[in-house]
Amino acid sequence: MSGKAAGCALAVVACALLPFAIPQYSLSVLIEALIFGLLAMSLDLLVGYCRLYSFGHAAAYGLGAYAAALILTHLQLPLPIGIALAVLATTLVAIPIAWICTRSTGVSFAMLTLAFAQLGYAMLFRFRDITGGSDGITGIPRPPGPWGITWFQGKIGYYYLVLGCLIVSYLVCRAIVRSAFGAVLSAIRENEPKAVALGYDTRLYKITTVVLSYAFGALAGALYAAFAGFASPELFFWLVSGRALIMVVVGGAGTLIGPILGGVFFIFLEHELSQVTDLWPLVFGSIFMAFVMFAPEGIWGLLSSRFKPVPGIPSAGPSDETSDAAA
Amino acid sequence: MTFGFILAQCLSALSQAAILFFIACGLTLIFGIMRIVNFAHGAIFMLGAYVGLTVLAVTGSFLLSLLLAPVAVGGIGMAFEWIFLRHLYGRREGGAYLLLTFGLAIVLSELIRVIWGPQPLASGIPDYLRGIVVILGQPFPLYRLFLIASGIAAAVAIWQFLERTRAGLLIRAVAQNAEMVHALGTDVALVRTGVFGLGCAMAALGGVLAAPLVTAFLGMGTNVVIDAFVIVIIGGMGSFAGSLIGSILVGFVQVLGAYYFQDLALAFMYFLMLIVLVIRPGGLLGKED
Repeated sequence: MSGKAAGCALAVVACALLPFAIPQYSLSVLIEALIFGLLAMSLDLLVGYCRLYSFGHAAAYGLGAYAAALILTHLQLPLPIGIALAVLATTLVAIPIAWICTRSTGVSFAMLTLAFAQLGYAMLFRFRDITGGSDGITGIPRPPGPWGITWFQGKIGYYYLVLGCLIVSYLVCRAIVRSAFGAVLSAIRENEPKAVALGYDTRLYKITTVVLSYAFGALAGALYAAFAGFASPELFFWLVSGRALIMVVVGGAGTLIGPILGGVFFIFLEHELSQVTDLWPLVFGSIFMAFVMFAPEGIWGLLSSRFKPVPGIPSAGPSDETSDAAA
Repeated sequence: MTFGFILAQCLSALSQAAILFFIACGLTLIFGIMRIVNFAHGAIFMLGAYVGLTVLAVTGSFLLSLLLAPVAVGGIGMAFEWIFLRHLYGRREGGAYLLLTFGLAIVLSELIRVIWGPQPLASGIPDYLRGIVVILGQPFPLYRLFLIASGIAAAVAIWQFLERTRAGLLIRAVAQNAEMVHALGTDVALVRTGVFGLGCAMAALGGVLAAPLVTAFLGMGTNVVIDAFVIVIIGGMGSFAGSLIGSILVGFVQVLGAYYFQDLALAFMYFLMLIVLVIRPGGLLGKED
């Protein structure tokens, strides 16, 4: 256990020192990779812990990005406050979406989430004067403050902001999935009728998780909008949802840390391969298919099974806990 | 607004519905038999369009492309089922299919880009289908009437195949209780491979038919697969009649929406799906599960 803690500390220190070891260009890629890692982790709350395959996580990403873009451009609020407000706004929008989507499960859930993302995509073109239509919103500033803080305006500072958000989000999500609430989620994943029979309002748990997942996805979107300086309709497009889903699966669903690694792995592979060959989506699609076929536990599953015999996904434990709690 | 104009719009919507039906019916058949959500169905449709164009370019015969492209693409579909999907049947959860076919969609789209190039390929309507028909004073393209006729012919053919033939009987039996059919001595794996191939062949046929209207372009698959999913969800997953009704509804919503409410045309289809799902989570003709 102490070895694990030391490993975590080492990883965090290594991430903190990284900006000084790599060139400026790679730093941009790294920031993007961390943001996508955060998006993938937020999706893992649904995919890994509730087995709800969302094909529309771009909605969370896009809503967060556009909300941040509008708030930062028009209100000139300090960057951290603007991002927090964007997350709050998306969370509120997510509540009715979650209410409707959780009426169904499986494929219908996937398609309903997809429908909402596509609906958002369509709305961008409908309300052109607010969203800028296909041009999107450009020139998003990173206003300083509060108390005159400006360190996040530079690239290295922004990297630390993103890294901090990612670590805090990870710790919060980890606390959630390890809590009694998370145990109920695992129970729903493993056997929903049993969870219902034990007296849990599973729908309420699912709605809460979808909303939480949207909130963290929106954080990723808001961070991206302020980093890139623009928000375009592509952020809402289903390819973003598909990429996030791939990252979760390749990284290892149901582990939180796996999807972060999956996101970082994906973005770096994309940048490296797209310099060498224009066939990278082909390579990438093949890698993805190979993972689904031969390593459904993902990168993190492969790594952790190498060090210890017990797989990282908690399956039997939490559902036992819930039955104990109810008994 | 004359009666002729309304009729022309309805026919236009029906011809759109016919193309959508070719994709949606394969999707729903595959789901009904195999419980597989084939995300690659749009890419298969696109592959059909490109293969059809190549056959047309080589042989010069549109009818031959209508025949050969579905056979070739159906064969590719069967090979995919045999090599990949078959090994996933033991997995407990269905998510793996969704993910694997999503990977296939990416790989197929890229292969098409590599083989046929990134620029859109136009294909002409054959001479004997090129004319304009005047219906109640409104000019209407003959090719769209041909599409409606093909759609009706395909719907009747599949319906009769499922209801009247021994193979159709087996398919319906596998959809109801695969284990029992297996116990009675039928090779269920073969039925599944066949149905997957049939579904892919239908999508390819749709692709060949759609190519003269829209030109073949990269991304035609992704647009259409989402439409097809919406149709299948509206009609009810696995319901053949549902896919027919869903195609017609979506065809009308798309054509009329694009004409009367241009800004909201994209959104209408999703509104329709949301309304159906909120009222009947299993789709119009589907079972709730």
